Amino acid sequence: MPRPWQRRIVAAMSGPVVHAELLTKRYHGDRGVHELTFEVGWGEVFGYLGPNGAGKTTTIRLLLDLIRPTAGRVEVFGLDPRRDALAIRRRVGYLPGDLRLYERLTGREQLRYFASLRGMDGLGEGLRLAGRLELDLDRRIRALSKGNRQKVGLVQAFMHRPDLLVLDEPTSGLDPLVQQVFHELVAETTGAGRTVFVSSHVLSEVQRIADRVAVLREGRLELVESVETLRARAFTRVEAGFAAAPPAGAFDGLPGVRELERRGTTVLFALEGPADPLVKSLARFEVLAIDVHEADLEDLVLALYRGAGPRAR
Amino acid sequence: MLGSVLLKGLHDLRRGFAWWSLGLAGLVAMMVSVYPTVRDSPELNRLVEDYPEALKAFIAFGGSVDYVSGPGYLGSELYSFMVPLLFIVCAVGNGAGAIAGEEESGTLDLLLAHPIARRRLAVEKLGAMALQLVGLGTVLWLALVVGSAIVGMGVSAVNLAAATAGAALLALAFGAIAFMVGAATGHRALAIGLATAAAVAAYLVNSLAALVHLLHGPQKFSPFYHYAAADPLRQGFALDHSLVPIAIAVVAAVAGVLLFERRDVA
Repeated sequence: MPRPWQRRIVAAMSGPVVHAELLTKRYHGDRGVHELTFEVGWGEVFGYLGPNGAGKTTTIRLLLDLIRPTAGRVEVFGLDPRRDALAIRRRVGYLPGDLRLYERLTGREQLRYFASLRGMDGLGEGLRLAGRLELDLDRRIRALSKGNRQKVGLVQAFMHRPDLLVLDEPTSGLDPLVQQVFHELVAETTGAGRTVFVSSHVLSEVQRIADRVAVLREGRLELVESVETLRARAFTRVEAGFAAAPPAGAFDGLPGVRELERRGTTVLFALEGPADPLVKSLARFEVLAIDVHEADLEDLVLALYRGAGPRAR
Repeated sequence: MLGSVLLKGLHDLRRGFAWWSLGLAGLVAMMVSVYPTVRDSPELNRLVEDYPEALKAFIAFGGSVDYVSGPGYLGSELYSFMVPLLFIVCAVGNGAGAIAGEEESGTLDLLLAHPIARRRLAVEKLGAMALQLVGLGTVLWLALVVGSAIVGMGVSAVNLAAATAGAALLALAFGAIAFMVGAATGHRALAIGLATAAAVAAYLVNSLAALVHLLHGPQKFSPFYHYAAADPLRQGFALDHSLVPIAIAVVAAVAGVLLFERRDVA
């Protein structure tokens, strides 16, 4: 893995891999994505998070020119996805979220077809990758389990050593051992200075591999942040059991404290920053039990999904 | 075998092609084997002469209805209806599926993420459809050349080729319409429906023009009219009568490609 300063040098030399500016795709109602602005640099793993239906796949399909923006723009390698579609796609490996392959072909035939569309003579890295993933290339796609189909998808995405990998929910259906291989593949890819754009609906899937994450909710970016910063920002959960339920609004306006949930006489708080204001405020009531959970990124992201978290600027 | 979209397209069609070929050969064998009986029954012609004009218009294929001669028999029994019907069904199915088939089965996304332009993809898919028609035409032609020689139908191989080419061009026109709708909308069933409706309308306009004076003008735009009016089994290939189906095919194909290039893929 290159050091961050190495990546910055590479990035400074060649501009961002993906650059979206007020990128908007409107569908009926309020669906679609709205005014997305973000950059993805060379050699980084960019985790694209959001609940199902938030617009992750829409964003990815805009990058690949499968759909066209209503407003705003996006550049990949500094090129326009529509005008320079072929130049971009030569350097991109894509794994769709809803992967469909040709049922009647074998894995090998499927890969050969895609390789020939890329002008490759053989399967490139394909055979080696299939071996690492323990994928039998001679079985027909229709006879493959979901996990094995996903492996075919991964092989075709990685086999031509693309500069940018766009992976839509790549680990769905993969068993933990294969996920491990996948993580290695991603590390090798970024180690070579190439870039991975990976979407997921759960943070834990990308937390280990992502350098930065973007959180999407209802088509809008809630946050784009490095995982490091995110960790520093994650809140602690404090669960307090009272003798009698405190009146509603008793904890409003406390700095760094948000009431998350009430269950009878138990109140769950999100705490960011020092604990003092909350402790002082709790002391006004008869507290039977207090339980403190460590800062959890997953909770932060879930809060963002609900629209309760800190907004991106 | 899977070196390009065109080759992959042909690969996908090969199973269907085998069945179509078998069916066509069987149809030809059946029709040809009945011919000697028909030839020995000249009273059939007198019977047909008494048919109402409208009915004659439906069964005629270029010129007058004539069951007893080889060209007349093949025209009425095969080329006036069965052959174009089969060719159109085949071409419309392939044309509708060219883009919309992959789109509905969900494979288009990944295909279009590869470095192949939408235009090229569409053209190669169209090419596969056209080559399938050429293949079917060849099978039909070969079967008829052999069959007509065996029973002595007195139809030249060249004229059989001309009639078969006419049917293929007719089918190509409606296949291209199916392609256009499928490429523009991504809906296979809609593409089949609209192209079939167009074919039925064109067929009826041509057939009813014998009865309905109002249809004489529109009839000239029906590829069915030109297909039959060329009278290829007796006259051979007629370029001027090929222009309407070719024009329809080209316009529909170009429109389909342009609309496909401009739209969002589902």
